[in-house]
Order: sequence, then structure tokens, then C-alpha cells
Amino acid sequence: MTETTFFVLLAVYKPNHGYGIMQFIEKETNGRVVLGAGTLYGAINTLVKKEWIAPLNDESDSKKKEYLITHIGKQKAEEELQRIEQVLQLASTVIKGGRIK
Amino acid sequence: MAKDGYRLKKCGKLTYVFDECSPNEYEYAIEFVGNQSYSKAKDYRRYLESMGFHTFTKNIYLNISYGKVLWRPYAKGMGQIATSPGGLNKELLILEKKQDGKPFELHTDIHDKLSIYKTVRRAYTWAVFMITLLGVMTFLPNVMSVPFPMAWFLRIVLLIFFSLFLIPTVKYSSLMKYLKEESKIFE
Repeated sequence: MTETTFFVLLAVYKPNHGYGIMQFIEKETNGRVVLGAGTLYGAINTLVKKEWIAPLNDESDSKKKEYLITHIGKQKAEEELQRIEQVLQLASTVIKGGRIK
Repeated sequence: MAKDGYRLKKCGKLTYVFDECSPNEYEYAIEFVGNQSYSKAKDYRRYLESMGFHTFTKNIYLNISYGKVLWRPYAKGMGQIATSPGGLNKELLILEKKQDGKPFELHTDIHDKLSIYKTVRRAYTWAVFMITLLGVMTFLPNVMSVPFPMAWFLRIVLLIFFSLFLIPTVKYSSLMKYLKEESKIFE
């Protein structure tokens, strides 16, 4: 899972719209990750297609469509969290504790 | 223009209308959406408006007729068919935002950038291919029935257009090559 995808999933644990997602990511990463609007649009559409997130109101005319993470999305986010924890553990062992077998 | 204190007000087929504003008050970005179906391009435009951008559409073809269907071979799916009224003559999206000191980047993810560059390169590649085809046809007997100097004039014009479209094709190819290398290291 890319960093963009994971952040978008985290941003929609509570209902959020495009601009809110962008703000969430920028704020929570202290400005390290700033998503372009085009990139975010692609990520949202892909995640909706995969049913990892879902629009709350399906009105196509709605100016600020809100999205919420789905059950599948939560599962994927938890899997990603486990993967990151494993990477973190390994990196900590190698970098702080010297070589591993 | 924005640096000199002009703000885009309207886009015509061949003209742009500007209003005066403070220098550097606004900044602009251009996105190619000529590969998208009309409904998708409309949805994307609506989304960008909801993100606070002011948007304009711009044509890349000089089509002045009303009511027309065009095949866009470089596009995929329903994007291949452009109609007027519809997505025809709205191939470019011009986005305006107030200067806020942050870079105006629409695409920030390497994979997303790669996909955008691929789309744009496809459009240029098709143009290069079509011009090459026309150029080859000028050498075929019984196809060209124009006088000899006229045929060479036509070939020179085609060569100029070929070069004009080949330059961005090569530029986007090298950008893609660079990004592919980067994507092996960074997400």
C-alpha cells in the first residue's frame, strides 16, 4: 500500500471530504506530506472502486462529497499497520541494536 | 501574465481575456483532460472547484463548428469519443488559485505523475504518428496530385510539425524514465 493510500484511509475514519482529507494529511504529518488535488482525486476514486471507502451521499451534484472508510478498508488499514510495525521493529533492531542474523 | 498583474477572466477558442489584479496575486496550473470521457472530466472539474480552485476549460483543436463528433485515438474507453456539445474543445483544464506560498502541484505521488505523463505522451505520440503517416503518403505515387514544389513545401511544413510534437514526446519519455527509476526507491 502506498503512503498516499494509507493516509487517505486514516483521514476517512471519520466522515471527510476531499479538502478535509488533504488538510488532515498535511496537519498530521506536520507538512511533510502535501497531497496534490489531482493525486487525491485519483486515490479517492480508486479506493471507492475497491470499496475500501464509500461516499456518504451519492448525489453527484453534491459539491463537497464526504467519504467514510468501509469494513474492508479498515481491514486493509489494520494489515498495513501490522506491516509498518514489523518494518519498524526490524529497522529499530538493525539501526539501534546492530546486525541481525 | 499573473506575474505582471493579470488575472484570467475568460478563455475563447483563440483568445484569452484578462482582468487587472495585483502582481503575483494568482497562480495557474494546466491539466490535460482530453483523454477523459465528458462525465469523468465534468466530475473532476466539479471536484477541483470544491477544493477551492477556479477552473476554465480550453480547446486544443481549432474546431469552430457546432455539433460534431471526434475520435481521440490516444484516449481510453469512452474518452475516445468527444462530442460537441460535450467534452470536445474542453481538452485542457486551467486552474487558478490565490498565491499562498505553497507550490501549486496537482500531482504529487510518483505513480500518479507517471500515469499523467503517460497520458500526455500518448497524445503527443499519436500526433507524431499521424504526421509521419501523412509525410509518407506524400511520397506515394497517385496520392499527391500537387506540383513538385508544393509537395516539398507540404513536406517541410509536416517536418516542422513533426519536430514540434516529437520534442515533448521525448521530454515526457525521459521524465517517465527518471520517475520509474525513482519509484524503485521511493513510493
